[in-house]
Amino acid sequence: MWWKFLGVIIFLYVLIGGLCTPLNPGIVDANPTNVKGGQKVDIAIKTYNTHLSTSPTEAWLKQDDGHYVKANQLKVTNDNECVATFALPIDMEQKAHTLILHNDVDGSALLPDGIFVLKNEKPDSTYKASFETSTGKKLSKASGLRFPYRSILNETIRNTFFHVALWMAMFVLYVIALINGVKYLRTKDLRYDSKSAAYNKSGILFGMLGIVTGSLWARYTWGTWWTNDVKLNMATIAMFIYFGYLILRSSFTDEDKRARISAVFSIFAFVALIPLVFVIPRLTDSLHPGNGGNPALGGEDLDNTLRLFFYPAILAYILLGTWMAQLKYRLEQVEKKINEMTD
Amino acid sequence: MCCPKYLRLLTYKNNQAIMTRKLFSKTIQSIAFLLIFISELSAQNNDTDFLRSTGKIYSVVVAVVIIFLAIAAYLWRIDNKLTKLENIIKDEHKTS
Repeated sequence: MWWKFLGVIIFLYVLIGGLCTPLNPGIVDANPTNVKGGQKVDIAIKTYNTHLSTSPTEAWLKQDDGHYVKANQLKVTNDNECVATFALPIDMEQKAHTLILHNDVDGSALLPDGIFVLKNEKPDSTYKASFETSTGKKLSKASGLRFPYRSILNETIRNTFFHVALWMAMFVLYVIALINGVKYLRTKDLRYDSKSAAYNKSGILFGMLGIVTGSLWARYTWGTWWTNDVKLNMATIAMFIYFGYLILRSSFTDEDKRARISAVFSIFAFVALIPLVFVIPRLTDSLHPGNGGNPALGGEDLDNTLRLFFYPAILAYILLGTWMAQLKYRLEQVEKKINEMTD
Repeated sequence: MCCPKYLRLLTYKNNQAIMTRKLFSKTIQSIAFLLIFISELSAQNNDTDFLRSTGKIYSVVVAVVIIFLAIAAYLWRIDNKLTKLENIIKDEHKTS
């Protein structure tokens, strides 16, 4: 009984914390992105979640550790817009530079590799500008608990708790269903079959939700409802295999036959699920954040502030899914009893 | 005494099938409605788009709402089935 309350409480925690924790300040856009070295340039910067007009802000272009160009002037239009004027040295390297903004309220905001510096073919010999060896002060982070800012993702980084956790929970529910299926095959006790089906059903519900919320998210980050991303297609195939499970179950009238075949089918479906969801997407590039060779649950894409809600979210979904499956299972047992009585 | 019980069970199963079909069409309708609603909100595909405003936070909100609605619909279905069973038990008490 207690775990049902636990599930609800954790879900509330994830819902409130996951939606109310602010994002780190970040740079949305800079214009122009291509500049020439050896001249003065104005770069218009758009930021997110910053307080540029209340706190004095400085800007730098970073070539590498030890080579910074500080903005001579920063004209602030409003809290989230400003124009920085840089005097770029002639001998700037031809590569992408990182744009840094810093003030005391927001800490630092970065646009990694955002400004590309090109070589100036006809440099003005009278023009003089030089590098600074450091930013002159320690760049700090904004205070308090904040989620990382990622360009394009923006606030949708919160979908880690609502979309990604669904898939993890779905996987655990399928595992429980598989265990019950195997138990049925060993004992021939129909209750295990009923349990296995209930867990598979709540797993399928979570999978469908995962696809729908993922599709919605894709619309706002990748720009389309559906792409040929390997993870999407493989997950869909896995979903169809599990739909097959439902259809298979409903096509048998004989209970024992139905139980046996669906238990075996759920083992095969699960075995197919592992390469489809975990192996194949890792062999190729996926558009998913954090993908492209390495697994997603590492590095900067899932930092400690996200983990604070991501793992509880998985637990909450598992508990809720288990609750739903148990309701279904108990209902089926009662239905069976009543059918026996009325026969 | 046997026949009415059998008939009752039969009508129960029939009702259930009809209910499932109705529920199915209703689910399809509401999903279609939701999709139209969302695509209406995202029709303009630029910065003035509502779901894109404030760092796309509303697309997360819509995702949460979808998850909530799905779980609620699942519970609603279980509730309906339970009500049917309760009615059968009630009838049983009346006849006996």
